[in-house]
Amino acid sequence: MEVINSRRWAPRGRNRWIAAAAALGAAAIIRAILHPLLGPFMPGTAFLIAAVLVEYYCGLAPALCVMLLGLCLADYLFVPPYGHIDVIDASDLHLLISYPLLTILIISLVERLRRAQYRAELLAAVAQSRYEMLLRHDNERLLARRATDEMHRMLRHIAQYHRSLILIKALDPANSLPPGSFVAAAATATPNALVDDASLHAGIAYCAKHTQVHEEDLAHVRVHLTPGHHRMRFLSGARDDWRPVECVCDRFTTSSGEFLVLRADD
Amino acid sequence: MNATPFSGIEGSDHAVLLLHGLSSSPLELRFLARLLADEGFATHTPELPGYSAGTGHQPMEQWISAAIAEFDRLAARHRHVSICGLSMGATLAAAVAHERPAARALLLLSITLNYDGWAIPWYRFLLDYVYYTPLRSRYRYREQEPYGLRNEALRSKIARAMQKNDISEVGPAFIGLPALHEAGRLAGSVTKKLKGIGTDCLIIHAIDDETSSPHNARFVGTTIGASFLRTIWLDDSYHMITSDNEREVVARECALFLRESVAATVSSHNPAPVVSRALARRLRQLATVARKA
Repeated sequence: MEVINSRRWAPRGRNRWIAAAAALGAAAIIRAILHPLLGPFMPGTAFLIAAVLVEYYCGLAPALCVMLLGLCLADYLFVPPYGHIDVIDASDLHLLISYPLLTILIISLVERLRRAQYRAELLAAVAQSRYEMLLRHDNERLLARRATDEMHRMLRHIAQYHRSLILIKALDPANSLPPGSFVAAAATATPNALVDDASLHAGIAYCAKHTQVHEEDLAHVRVHLTPGHHRMRFLSGARDDWRPVECVCDRFTTSSGEFLVLRADD
Repeated sequence: MNATPFSGIEGSDHAVLLLHGLSSSPLELRFLARLLADEGFATHTPELPGYSAGTGHQPMEQWISAAIAEFDRLAARHRHVSICGLSMGATLAAAVAHERPAARALLLLSITLNYDGWAIPWYRFLLDYVYYTPLRSRYRYREQEPYGLRNEALRSKIARAMQKNDISEVGPAFIGLPALHEAGRLAGSVTKKLKGIGTDCLIIHAIDDETSSPHNARFVGTTIGASFLRTIWLDDSYHMITSDNEREVVARECALFLRESVAATVSSHNPAPVVSRALARRLRQLATVARKA
């Protein structure tokens, strides 16, 4: 796959030009220090190395500039007669042919490799982004499936225990989607169900058994209902004859919100 | 400041301020705005004086002020307000986020700090100097193919629209030098402010963006001060990622990030659950890498 921006792999800004100038200066100084030792031998090598390093770190344009300026400096300073550029002999021709040829060849190869490397980095970044998107969507799918399973469990629970249900409460009526209608639907499916405006607004539906529960207990669970076992007073035959009954509260986290279902554990 | 016909700012506690590109119109964000509205977010895509197409010339400080005024209007009505921008709109969005740290999330789509993509001519830097010549009011930068679109069918449709009118659904046919100059100033100002932006940030950028190279997104990703940062790279789009081949991916990821940002911070006692083991592993890996860095 072609990535046209791979040719823009090099860093931007003026820093790369400063680095290129520094590399050119360093090459000239090193070659000048070695000049008593080397004499006219290999006048362009230091500039070739500088140009290749600049190509690797700073890109094509600074590298070409370093190469051209290096050629001038090498010919002027390190090719006899030293300090003269107007005399052209075999040494000058040798430098003018071999140095640019070799430098351009190496720079071209480095440029090609750097573009391929940058292209691979960009494609790897795309692959990583896609993998993470896949994982996030997989997580969303699992969450949706879990919520759906929970909804099915809750509906089965309501169908199984509809005669012993006391109330169904939405934990967060404001954010449940939509809590009122769901609770109302559940409530109307059971006999003796009661959904008045106030309770519907609060996300509470009273079910078949609620008429037998002591009013104080009912008021308590309306506010402080938690999952687990509760003991509540149930009307037993005669008037004001209350007996304790074990009740169970189950919590369901469904796609339509979180609900607590309270039933008598008959 | 005008509201566009597809602004919907009622009935949600999370609003998204959508800022279009330089000298363009809210049309280029139409698809994203529609999908965000479908996902339950209130969206608002204003036209800003001096910044939007056909609204004259204003300095970039006025652009920021106008965008901040729009943000404040939304903040007065909604519990959460996020900012989303495309191209130079993303740069403007970052400037607004710097001035309004209460912003819930910052979505930077094809952010442009430098015009350095592959379709930008090499002599582009000369335009910065032409601004100081009499050519300032005469020269206009003309948009050319591929118009920010990898999708060829859409590109030919846009080419026809550009020939008939001065503007299309992916931007203007021409951009004046004063606007480009102010955009450069805005980018320079935002570059210095990035470290001070702590808003949750999503960056989406195409690797083959012909207008702003991936260096822009990388620079923002490494510089911005946000603790919740996500970068998504696309490979089948050019600059106009809200209209191109991957517009659905862009819109879906924006909506997901906005939801996660709210879940991660506002409801910190009940964050978005991670049930996928593979995702949990990946998040642990990323956390380890972040700690080492």
